[in-house]
Amino acid sequence: MIAFGCSITSPEMYARCAEPGFRLVAEPDSEIIANAAAGSLFRSYNLLIDSVADRDDLEALVLVHQDAEIVDHEFLTKLRRALEDPQVGVVGCVGAIDVRNIAWWEGSVTWASFIHRYSEFGGGDIPSLTWLDDQLPGYARTGEVDTLDGFVLCLSPWAVKHVRFDEGLGSQIHGYDFDFCLQIREAGHKVVTADFKVVHHHSLELVSDPGVWINAHVRVAEKWEGRMPGVGKPNWGPAAEDWKARARQAEAEAGATRLQRVSCQLQAEARERQLEAELEEVLNSVSWRTTAPLRRASALLREVRASRAARRAPDR
Amino acid sequence: MIAFGCPVTDSEAYHRFAAPGIERAREPDSAVYPNSSAGSIFRAYNLLLDQAAAHEDLEALVLLHQDVEIVDPGFCAEVREALADPEVGVVGCVGALDARSLAWWEGAVTWASFAHRYYEHGGGELPAFAMEPDAQPMPYARTGVVDTLDGFLMVLSPWAVRTLRFDESLGQFDGYDFDFCLQVREAGRKVLTADLKVIHHHSLELLSNPERWIEANIRVIEKWEARFPRVGAQIGSAADDWKARARRAESEAAAARTLRVSAQMQATARERELLRELETMRASTSWRLTAPLRWVSARLR
Repeated sequence: MIAFGCSITSPEMYARCAEPGFRLVAEPDSEIIANAAAGSLFRSYNLLIDSVADRDDLEALVLVHQDAEIVDHEFLTKLRRALEDPQVGVVGCVGAIDVRNIAWWEGSVTWASFIHRYSEFGGGDIPSLTWLDDQLPGYARTGEVDTLDGFVLCLSPWAVKHVRFDEGLGSQIHGYDFDFCLQIREAGHKVVTADFKVVHHHSLELVSDPGVWINAHVRVAEKWEGRMPGVGKPNWGPAAEDWKARARQAEAEAGATRLQRVSCQLQAEARERQLEAELEEVLNSVSWRTTAPLRRASALLREVRASRAARRAPDR
Repeated sequence: MIAFGCPVTDSEAYHRFAAPGIERAREPDSAVYPNSSAGSIFRAYNLLLDQAAAHEDLEALVLLHQDVEIVDPGFCAEVREALADPEVGVVGCVGALDARSLAWWEGAVTWASFAHRYYEHGGGELPAFAMEPDAQPMPYARTGVVDTLDGFLMVLSPWAVRTLRFDESLGQFDGYDFDFCLQVREAGRKVLTADLKVIHHHSLELLSNPERWIEANIRVIEKWEARFPRVGAQIGSAADDWKARARRAESEAAAARTLRVSAQMQATARERELLRELETMRASTSWRLTAPLRWVSARLR
């Protein structure tokens, strides 16, 4: 039996995203556990794990964020295939190698078969690097990784029985995935990616509270320093043990990057002003204003047709 | 005599921006030095200092970037007023307090009387907070003593011209202003902002070479941290706890990179939205039907 679990802070979001995904792939005997969030995501996920840990027939526990929608009919087939190797502890659809901290995306990403669907600015999709099967980059491959993006985590029965999310990290949400994958690897098991197709309905605001994220980054690095090769090392520059040089380098990097972000925002605002001026030009043109009655009539006609079609629909 | 100096790497930019501004501001006896740039900006500025120092009647040396245009007709009067205090070593139009690194803009900016004029995306202007005469003044806006200035315009007192030099060991470009202001302050003199109005004709790309900037930031902090305790100090960890500082800074840098990606994604999404709207309008039947009218109208104009 494959179980599905979700920790919910927004029932509307769950009903719109995670639940349809569960319904799409669940088997008749699948158990779907939709819990209200219990404090942190760490604690909520532990509650979900505990609720299936004593099931002898458990094949996997699929933990999904409330805003993640599984859209892959073959999800369970792919998951069972990935878990055929008894050494596999956890499976996901996005993963990277040489991951040194909770910013796993700064490692070498090997697989990411999801779409980032945002609702701001009229909405849109950003397909990740392995979303389209016919456009895979040369470095794309499923298989063993250092860590997974936690929005979809599929735990093996072994992981369900032996590993828990570390509530002691003191974080609400950040770093749970990286820490969990490190626990799996420390226990000698594997973290792997599989070609699950998932839509992540997520804002374009990637870090909503940088202060909290920074604290989690520090705590996870402190926990794993010396326990797992590479973890906590800097991305580039000074030697790992030269803390003074590392501080200097990173402080400068942070300052430079903040400036680049401002630069990006200024450029975006300039582009926005340019396009808005073009829109304004169209809207204020004589031809657009004189043809406004035609567009209104056309819109009215469409509405009438749509309402007639809606009235006819139940009869069919 | 108030002298003007500008190191030039792009003649066209100098003739479009700095030269007209200097002509607007200069007095009949002003010396003007448009030098070709000699290696680094540190070295180029030192050459200008050497040239200006030879003038016994020097009242001030105005150093400006080639893309800076002085638009203030009362510029020289403002300069004289600011330099009336003999303790003042250097004056600028943008400055901040509690500046701890090359990223002086992360300190508390007290004055910024310039407009950033850019040419990308159809061009435009971003007036800084002290450049909008009709806008309500910012409560924190004030000229006076600061920790550092933005170096695109620096007005040096005769004492500074004759006593100090830009530190050529620091690099090519970044940090010359922060380091110079620290030298002025270390010598017990004042760094001051004044209401000097300029336009900075500059790309919206604020950091063209991050690695060079990072290296310069490290060098400048290493040079000054023992002499100015706040230089290099960071929020959240004691200055001498290097491990804690490194951990925190590495986390901040990673967060900053992620936020930058987020900003880029938002920018792309907003652009897509506006392009969609434009596309919908231009593809509409009414817009297409009236195309001949617009063509005729354009021809008539």
